[in-house]
Amino acid sequence: MASARFETRRLTSDAMFVVCAACTLLIVTLLLLVSGYLVWIGIGSIDLSFFRDVPTGDVATPGGMRHAIEGTVILLALAAAVGVPLGVAAGVYLSEYSHEWFFAGPLRFIADVLTGVPSIVVGILGYELFVVPVSRWTSNSVSFSGYAGAAALAFIMIPIVARTTEEMLRLVPKTYREGSLALGASKAQTVLRVVLPSAFGSISTGIMLALARVAGETAPLLFTALGSRLLTRDPSEPFPSLTLQIYTYATGPYPEQKKLAWAGILVLLALLFAVNLLIRVVAARHAATRLGKV
Amino acid sequence: MSIIQRAAWVSAVGVSIVVGGGAANAEASEVRLGGAGATFPAPLYTKWVAEYEKVAPGVRIDYRSIGSGGGVKAITDKTVAFGASDAPLTKREIEAMGGPDKIIQIPAVIGGVVPAYNVPGLSQPLNFSGEVLADIFLGKISTWDDPRLQELNSGVSLPKLAITPAFRTDGSGTTHVFSSYLATQSPTFKGEVGAGKQVKWPLGQGGKGNEGVAAVIQQTAGSIGYIEQNYAVANKIAYGAVRNKSGKFVLATPETMSVAGEGAATTLQGTVLRADIWDQPGDSTYPISAFTYIILYKDLVNLKTESEAKALVNFLNWATGDGQKFANQMDYAPLSSGVKKAVDAALSTLTHNGKPVK
Amino acid sequence: MTTDARAIPSAPFSPNASGGRADSLRRSFRFGDAMLGLVCRGSAAVIAIMLGALVLVLLTSAMPAIKEFGFGFLVSSEWRVNELERPLKDAAGNVVVEDGEIVMETIKPAFGALPVIYGTAVSSLIALLIAVPLSFGAALFLVRVAPTLRMAGPLSFLIEFLAAIPSLAYGIWGLFVLAPFLQTHVGPAVKSALENVPGLRWMFYESVTIAGTVVERPIPITGRDMFCGSLVLAIMILPIVTSVSRDVLKAVPRTQIEGTLALGATWWQSCVAMLRYGRSGLFGAVMLGLARAAGETMAITMVIGNNNQINPSPFAPAQTMASLLANEFAEASEGLHQASLLYVALVLLVMSLLFNIIARRLVVGKASPAGH
Repeated sequence: MASARFETRRLTSDAMFVVCAACTLLIVTLLLLVSGYLVWIGIGSIDLSFFRDVPTGDVATPGGMRHAIEGTVILLALAAAVGVPLGVAAGVYLSEYSHEWFFAGPLRFIADVLTGVPSIVVGILGYELFVVPVSRWTSNSVSFSGYAGAAALAFIMIPIVARTTEEMLRLVPKTYREGSLALGASKAQTVLRVVLPSAFGSISTGIMLALARVAGETAPLLFTALGSRLLTRDPSEPFPSLTLQIYTYATGPYPEQKKLAWAGILVLLALLFAVNLLIRVVAARHAATRLGKV
Repeated sequence: MSIIQRAAWVSAVGVSIVVGGGAANAEASEVRLGGAGATFPAPLYTKWVAEYEKVAPGVRIDYRSIGSGGGVKAITDKTVAFGASDAPLTKREIEAMGGPDKIIQIPAVIGGVVPAYNVPGLSQPLNFSGEVLADIFLGKISTWDDPRLQELNSGVSLPKLAITPAFRTDGSGTTHVFSSYLATQSPTFKGEVGAGKQVKWPLGQGGKGNEGVAAVIQQTAGSIGYIEQNYAVANKIAYGAVRNKSGKFVLATPETMSVAGEGAATTLQGTVLRADIWDQPGDSTYPISAFTYIILYKDLVNLKTESEAKALVNFLNWATGDGQKFANQMDYAPLSSGVKKAVDAALSTLTHNGKPVK
Repeated sequence: MTTDARAIPSAPFSPNASGGRADSLRRSFRFGDAMLGLVCRGSAAVIAIMLGALVLVLLTSAMPAIKEFGFGFLVSSEWRVNELERPLKDAAGNVVVEDGEIVMETIKPAFGALPVIYGTAVSSLIALLIAVPLSFGAALFLVRVAPTLRMAGPLSFLIEFLAAIPSLAYGIWGLFVLAPFLQTHVGPAVKSALENVPGLRWMFYESVTIAGTVVERPIPITGRDMFCGSLVLAIMILPIVTSVSRDVLKAVPRTQIEGTLALGATWWQSCVAMLRYGRSGLFGAVMLGLARAAGETMAITMVIGNNNQINPSPFAPAQTMASLLANEFAEASEGLHQASLLYVALVLLVMSLLFNIIARRLVVGKASPAGH
């Protein structure tokens, strides 16, 4: 009977509606479970000595992770020094020179594909390109190095920064470019003094996102920077990083070290959350001012 | 400021931070030596490094415990001043380093590999025999209440719990010691798994470094793994007694391990010193004892300056001399005087760029 | 060639300029343009070189292993790092004895990637089986229902934050929360419920041949096994599959949905129509999730058990290509061991590139893959 079929269809629809809602609820619950646990256990383990002290070598009182925090900051600075200029310039190419479709189209595709390369493979490439040749040419302890680690991180950063820069530049209205050209500016002047500055805010957020992503990476550093338990600011040696130190401590048996690992994860998550939130606030304000300016 | 000016300013600041940091490190007029290798002696080496800094301030030694395989690779690639390994160099490794007259290999201390386990409800250490251990790691004995384990431990009620062996995933001297010992105890083990730094364990869970295996044991009820004694003691992991060649069940202690090393002095000759001290005779001998070795080049050209070479020689002399007093408290056994003599003889042949190091 | 109106031709057209200031301006324009062009084209070339370097370097470093094993590497289960000395056996299986001494043969090191390919494939597929239905359901909810409840924004933010959590954090959660939970509660419960069901014995017991004798032994439940690894992977790929699916479904024209509703479809039937409309984009979303799952390293290394063997039981430890590399690469001695690991890395790279390329081909045009 038609009405019975309709009833089953309606019941199915209602049931599936509940199922879809449940799926969403489940995903959100999992998020809260995972991050909630990490926050809870991190808060119980964190104190000032985490930021202030360096490792002591004694497993009962292992000190802090200052060396790892400084290490991560320096690694990010090095990676950004290489990754940001290259990435932004490549993004400018993809956006402003996209009429050279013979190169621009495939390059966009290559950049997208590169963002999907497993980070451990990037680490292995870093090893083959920056660790092995260096240790062949020099005869002292310069093989695993912070420079190699930063290079691996830059490799991950460049395609991400390039694509987000391109997307942000595309959002700049073409009227800006046309106006600038109409006033007699060259292409270079247009790009550097009109287009880029107007997209500066969103490009910066893209860079921050890429840095935040790269700050949480561990695998690329496993065979390049290797990690270190000493406070060192010299990137030509094996170099510490927050993620590597957390991994070493978390997979070991010593409870005091594990506490440091949990505190470290909290710091990492807090950083990521802050960056993500900041980006949203900035983007919202940006959109508001642009609408207001119209 | 234009974009370019802004970018230039930022990079200038960044570069100066990094270069300044690097320069600041280099300015400190201290000697830095790098060593890498076995996790087996790592707790003691860390202690040595800390104590030696009190004796000789201005010498900073960075020992990275990455496994014996990594240590041999590091010294072969000349990326460190000295390598550490519980597995003595194989013929092929000696060749890769340039031949036996280019190498010095000395025992640094004696340690013991213990069968550590996680079985709830026990109040005293279990007894194991070599064949039983081999069969556990082969998978022939798969539950704790197996009759062969009961037989060795009458009076203890063992639970019906599956056994999970825990092993090393990295190239490990501890694996070399344990698998070599098991190979002497069980021909089946020798044929199926063999001895080496990295072998194919038939079953179980892998961990990286002694630390990783200790973590696996801690986290898995019913597991048993092979770790250096210090890791078991430091983490309060229960470990068992092993039946030695004379039939006695012996727990690993500095005394029972020293006994194992006593007979070795006579076999040590030349500069590539090696002695396998597992399965030694004696009532109180711990059967899974082993030397752990430090490996370096006879001509220390891999060190840039003579002060570095001197610092290294002084450190090694101290470690095999005064430093041995720390061995007992860290659950290792010091070298006997006979062994020490052979070590001193080998170290005295060290040169730097042809000149002997004093 | 499609003219992109945003693209600016390089040389500004100024036909009437004559000498003097205008000319020198034009020269300086050209210099600036040339410099910018050089820098930008150079950077873009770097990106192309990066991909080329990746493939080339891995290929050349893995060449010793490729030459030694060929494609047989992909189907071999050996992983023998050291030489194995064992008693030589004759054709009948008896040990050969000469002059009263057992003759030993030396088996050379040999490597094969089958166990890790199996580990990667099975863990990724199970993760997909779990995550994809959840993601599609959530995507439908986000696109059809959440906007009316004004929940779309916050929910999307939550899901994207989930995507930003680093792999290490998931690994720590898996190691300290999920694995013990599976070991003490889920594993024993499943075992006692199912172990006597005929046909499921392989999940809990394995039969192996050790030196000629067959031994049946229980598979210990440790919490760190294929099942735990797949669960952690599933949670990790939920955000990316959900957000890409949401973008794909958002791009379904309203007219399609309204059309089905006009024909009397229920809510669910119009959802099915949406899914069917966006099926290629959705397949792309699944491929992206698969690529992410296959390449995942840190989280899976901490919970998979690190045992390089093939075992059909979900409670047995396993190894994936990424976790094998993480465990063994740092001290693999040069030579066949390292080359074999590089061969594994090459296989992993090719696999993830393939999935990514297929995914991007399917998703581009249906939704913006950059997401933001």
